[in-house]
Amino acid sequence: MSNQHDATRGAGYAAGRTAAAGARLVADVARASQDSWPDATGVVAQANALSDRLEVLAEADADVFAAALVALATPSAELERHMQRAAALPLEIAEAAADVAALALVVAERCDGLVRADAAGAAALAAGASAAAAHLVRANLTVKPDDPRLVNALRAADDARYSASRALDAGV
Amino acid sequence: MPSDEQLVARCLAGDQEAWNDLVRSYSRYVFAICSQGYRLQGADAEDAFQDVFVRVYGRLGSLRNPEALRPWIAQLTRRVCLDRIAAGKREEPSDVEPDGIESTIEQLDEAFAVREALEELPEECQEVLDRFFCRDESYRTIGEELGIPSGTIASRISRCLARLRRRLEP
Repeated sequence: MSNQHDATRGAGYAAGRTAAAGARLVADVARASQDSWPDATGVVAQANALSDRLEVLAEADADVFAAALVALATPSAELERHMQRAAALPLEIAEAAADVAALALVVAERCDGLVRADAAGAAALAAGASAAAAHLVRANLTVKPDDPRLVNALRAADDARYSASRALDAGV
Repeated sequence: MPSDEQLVARCLAGDQEAWNDLVRSYSRYVFAICSQGYRLQGADAEDAFQDVFVRVYGRLGSLRNPEALRPWIAQLTRRVCLDRIAAGKREEPSDVEPDGIESTIEQLDEAFAVREALEELPEECQEVLDRFFCRDESYRTIGEELGIPSGTIASRISRCLARLRRRLEP
């Protein structure tokens, strides 16, 4: 029963939770650098806000995805509405995850050297989550190649990848 | 933005605009206590809201310390809510408070203190903090809307939060 429930949560849920974990890591690293970095407190607040936002998005995505699976199994006039909603949440996850990667880059460039690798790791996690979420937007049946939702999702994933690349290079 | 002390002095001097400012400043606070603290809804919440400001209008002269305007209004609001709940149950007015009311009001006080401090920050700080923390906008969206490079938004938010913190420190 629980396996079936987990299976219907899907990649959007996993992407949201992964990016949220990355955000918490960013908060931890910034907190550890407060003595030498006055702006670290503000970064902790932003990272916590992003983590909370992504946890909510992950749960919402799981619900919407489950509803979309049911709608696909029993097609009706409601199918398109379910699929539209199933595209909207991964887009939000892709964008919020890109913000986590951007914040992780700021931290990687400014934090205590002892925890820099953790900030870079958080950026990489967030970039992976953003890419996964953007892929879900692309895979949605209602999204065409020139759809603004897809354009924005891919742009977020690109931003996240760029931030992660720079974070991984920071201090090496 | 005038201090509470100035606001009270102007109200007591008969300045109608000051009364409008007072209601504007405290309407959300009063409504939040009624709805979140005492679970009053719809017409009950609206009636309680009206009663509170009628009492404020009638009793402001009895406020000994104008700097304590907010806790005084909170106290009046609590009394009005208890009276309204008792009236709804056709009971005598009661002093029995709902569970958790102290912590609810503490949280509301904190939220309103942050809001007041936020209003004292420069417009650009208010805007960027509101967009990120209240409207959940992404760095890219904020950057595009405000014409600021998105790569600088996180640092800008941190600086604005530091200013907000300084405002809130005693």
